Amino acid sequence: MKSNRISGVEAVMLTPALVLLVLFLIVPFAMSIGLAFTNQPLLPGPIPTKVVWLKNFERIFTSPEFWRALLNVVLFAVMVIPLQCGFALFSAILLNGQKKGKRFFQAFFFLPYITPMVVVCVVWSTLYQYPTGLLNSVFAVLSFGLFQPVEWLQNPLTALPAITMLSAWQAYGFQMVIYMAGLQNVSPDLYEAAAIDGASGWKRFTKVTWPSLFETNVFILIITTIQALQLFTQVNILTQGGPQDATNTLVHYIYRSGFVIQNVGFASAGSLVLFVLIVSVYGVMAFFTRKNPTGEAS
Amino acid sequence: MNQAKLVKVVRTVVLAVLSLLIIVPLIILFVSSLKGTRQEILADAGSFKAFLVPDPTLQNFVDILGPKALTPFLQYMLNSGIVLTGTVVLTLLVSTMAAFVLHTGRFRGRKLLLGAITALYIIPGETIMLPMLYECLGLGITDSYWVQILPFVASPLFIFLFFQFFAQVPSSIGEAAHIDGAGPWRIFRTIYLPLNGPALATVAILQGMGMWNQYLWPLLSTNTDSYRPITVAIASFFGSDTILWNLAMAGSVLMMLPVLGFFLAFQRFFIASVSSSAVKG
Repeated sequence: MKSNRISGVEAVMLTPALVLLVLFLIVPFAMSIGLAFTNQPLLPGPIPTKVVWLKNFERIFTSPEFWRALLNVVLFAVMVIPLQCGFALFSAILLNGQKKGKRFFQAFFFLPYITPMVVVCVVWSTLYQYPTGLLNSVFAVLSFGLFQPVEWLQNPLTALPAITMLSAWQAYGFQMVIYMAGLQNVSPDLYEAAAIDGASGWKRFTKVTWPSLFETNVFILIITTIQALQLFTQVNILTQGGPQDATNTLVHYIYRSGFVIQNVGFASAGSLVLFVLIVSVYGVMAFFTRKNPTGEAS
Repeated sequence: MNQAKLVKVVRTVVLAVLSLLIIVPLIILFVSSLKGTRQEILADAGSFKAFLVPDPTLQNFVDILGPKALTPFLQYMLNSGIVLTGTVVLTLLVSTMAAFVLHTGRFRGRKLLLGAITALYIIPGETIMLPMLYECLGLGITDSYWVQILPFVASPLFIFLFFQFFAQVPSSIGEAAHIDGAGPWRIFRTIYLPLNGPALATVAILQGMGMWNQYLWPLLSTNTDSYRPITVAIASFFGSDTILWNLAMAGSVLMMLPVLGFFLAFQRFFIASVSSSAVKG
């Protein structure tokens, strides 16, 4: 009985996954570590490849473009998290209390999430049109004409908030579903006790719902932060990082150096920096959920 | 109890109003795609006219799909469809097989292997794109369907998800089949796959949505009309100084319709796919 050896059939079934994981995850990752210390161009060129040690990192950390991209990503996260998660929680609470037509309303609320980002960019850029886009018109009407039309995507001050708004609209459905699951887990006993004490709706939220959602909140905060770090598509389509780098992001920065400027070495160094940032965010999550591991979740 | 009733009514009204507000951009999308020219779309964008189309026309769809189109949009859609189908089918096959062996196998190092695969999930796709492009250039597989399919077939997330689903199958069933002389392949095909239909649907939707939306990787790894996906086609309408609004709108509707169809048919699984992708952080 060779019960502790892998059988032939089993090996055949396991191999495709292992080969692909090695080829398209482990090898590129290992390559990024190796290439980060070289000046490797994307395509073979006249200049021979050399080991440049920490030159790439030096260039990154002394480049204003990198720091601006990092700042933009942080600003984006700071704006998008309250907007996106706040609205997600609000809709989750509304939907959770609804009995009639819950699934029907949920479908509507979920539609933005299934809308491809490219499509979102197309529609929202008409909303952002200057001077007669819908957003400018609505603001003008709401302020009785006081609001001056804004060139949302071309103004360095409004470009990032504009990207934030459309991103929040597209993505909040994710957080909404997570919150709905989290709300299901809040013990009904707590609500009953609060009702007996005569707690108002707002009190019930601050004293029962919000504290019970601690782990859900940590999870959502981390996931949303990581998504913010990976911001790319909408920026690439709508602003290409402009105006004046106001919407440049880390992934866009890496894309530009690696692909447009054709320098894999430099881009790999940038990728490693991004990787370290993302792993640190995971680390924070592990730290906060260490006492109360939610099953295999974290 | 009157107050409770009032809360109910108010909540329903708020939900109804919000539902409509939320989908305003989508209404504008579908309405605009039926307008004649890009000038009309732009002129109407700022008022209630954005929601009205006095003389609807399918001209934009004819233009974008027809033989005279600037971008062979139909080809791009087909490319996306092929890549999506190929990836989903291969993903389901490859990850279920791996998860099955990892779950039912009794060989040494199995736990370690599972742990290692799960740990790989921490490497985000965005951080390996450029080295992977360099690798694929070296392998000579750029500008093809394969270069868009293969990198996404084996995903630590999906292998782990299937592992979790398979763990819920009572092991007695598999053992009984084993005693009856069934090999691993048969147990996998006749017991584990049929019992996990919802899991297959969930992963198919998760992967299908991801593939339909692929943008950065195809942008890097392909460069001809024959292989580039629908996302790149739509983005290309933004490339020049004059944005081709009418084509962008029609293209977006064409990209949205299949998603909408699947969503209406399988809403439950779409919601489930979000929850399960969140199982892991």
